[in-house]
Amino acid sequence: MDKPVKIRVENLTFSYHQTPVFENVNLAFEAHAITAITGPSGRGKSTFLTVLNRLWESQPFAEMQGKVWILLDGQWVDIYGKTLSKPDLRRKVGMVFQTPNPLPMSIWKNMAFPLKLTGISDKSLIEEKISAALRQAFLWDEVKDRLHDSAFGLSGGQQQRLCIARALVSQPEILLLDEPTSSLDAGAASVIEDLLVRLKERCTLIVVSHYLDQVSRIADTALKLQARGFLQT
Amino acid sequence: MTRVFQKTARIVFFLSAAASAMAAALVFGFLLVFGFPLIGGGEFFSLLTRPWSPGQGLYGFLPMITGTAAISFLSIVFALPLSLGTVCFMGGLGPARISRLVDGFVRFMTGIPTVIYGFLGIFLLVPVVRTLFTSAGSGMCILSASLMLSLLVSPTMIIFFKDGFDSVDVRYIQAADALGADSVQRLIYVILPEAWPGIVTGIIMGLGRAMGDTLIALMIAGNAVHVPGSILDSARTLTSHIALVSASDYDSLAFKSIFACGLTLYVLNAFAVIAVRRLGGKRGPV
Repeated sequence: MDKPVKIRVENLTFSYHQTPVFENVNLAFEAHAITAITGPSGRGKSTFLTVLNRLWESQPFAEMQGKVWILLDGQWVDIYGKTLSKPDLRRKVGMVFQTPNPLPMSIWKNMAFPLKLTGISDKSLIEEKISAALRQAFLWDEVKDRLHDSAFGLSGGQQQRLCIARALVSQPEILLLDEPTSSLDAGAASVIEDLLVRLKERCTLIVVSHYLDQVSRIADTALKLQARGFLQT
Repeated sequence: MTRVFQKTARIVFFLSAAASAMAAALVFGFLLVFGFPLIGGGEFFSLLTRPWSPGQGLYGFLPMITGTAAISFLSIVFALPLSLGTVCFMGGLGPARISRLVDGFVRFMTGIPTVIYGFLGIFLLVPVVRTLFTSAGSGMCILSASLMLSLLVSPTMIIFFKDGFDSVDVRYIQAADALGADSVQRLIYVILPEAWPGIVTGIIMGLGRAMGDTLIALMIAGNAVHVPGSILDSARTLTSHIALVSASDYDSLAFKSIFACGLTLYVLNAFAVIAVRRLGGKRGPV
């Protein structure tokens, strides 16, 4: 690999109801690249993403062994260690879900939500961050005149870009995307694909995808999930 | 076949809905008809503002109205933080295993007969109140009754609050989690506003139970027939009044007055429901 590594997964074993989903997985993810994870459904692709932001922990009957290291500010940090809190980790490792999940509030409040969580109250700073993130997500022009309308009034593709923008507001270093285009039509999906390629400059992206053509269009590396482990392709 | 089934089901469900609505209307009608001698004579409204003194021919129930209002309102004041706190604990602040235990305990509590609470009140709470507050006299007062009543209505409120919490779309919770919300932020910014309709319903059900409960107030509020001046005064609720008076002679005027008393309770309850709905609005703040 020529590019520096951003995430290292070591001896990862994950089980659900005592049935292993992955066993002894060792992986490295390149920085500023798109890594696609493919494979048949029900093999734990989404679960793997949640290992990287610890979102799986709210699920009962799930268990994990192994280590996940992320390079943050030049230092390797064990994300399951004590140095990094879960909320801080999730600001550094953003996630976008399969179906767009805006909160039941206005576009503006959705965008301001992550900032509110960190206690940022400087209005001009909030405005600046929100408009920057909306621009990065190719959404600014479409919503700038209706920022205080409900987020549910947006189309599916716009909602998904809003969710990407909302994750970008916290300036994450890694963005996890769980089949981000599967609920969208071809046009909306291609806008998001372009967007993801552009975001490589800012973040390291890991995308779960069903579509092999999509993977070949956007991914720098592809990992195929086999029974209980990964195989690089 | 399925069409016939659907049609029959629709009729059956309509009939059961109509029957329960009718029951409520019939109770109201019943109270109206039996209370008519008093209402028709134009005396009803004077009953609402007069004291109760059968010896002097006064059958007003102003003391009972204030007693009911004070005890039920105060019990909600005590029960609301307790119930909301419990639900917040079960809704993500507390460990899952303990939350399940608490949940089971709360459901068990709904099945405890009120007389047990009354009993506990007499032997445990009333002496404490008597010792703590010298002006509480025997300890049988509004404070004792509403504290005990808050324990009675809390499980009801908790169950409705929890339904509200459980109805929050899991995608919102996931979104908040993934954006770095801690458990308190998730609760305040996402769950509480979304669960608001359930919280309002829970308050209404709790208030209804508090107003309708008879035994606790009867056993530990002291039953004095005067308008209470403080929460350490003894008081009588409309329900305990009905219970006490209906034990007396059927032909007496006192007995006739309790229909008007029931009617007042009915109307008071309806007003409380409307007030909470109005104040609660459709959705929470944020």
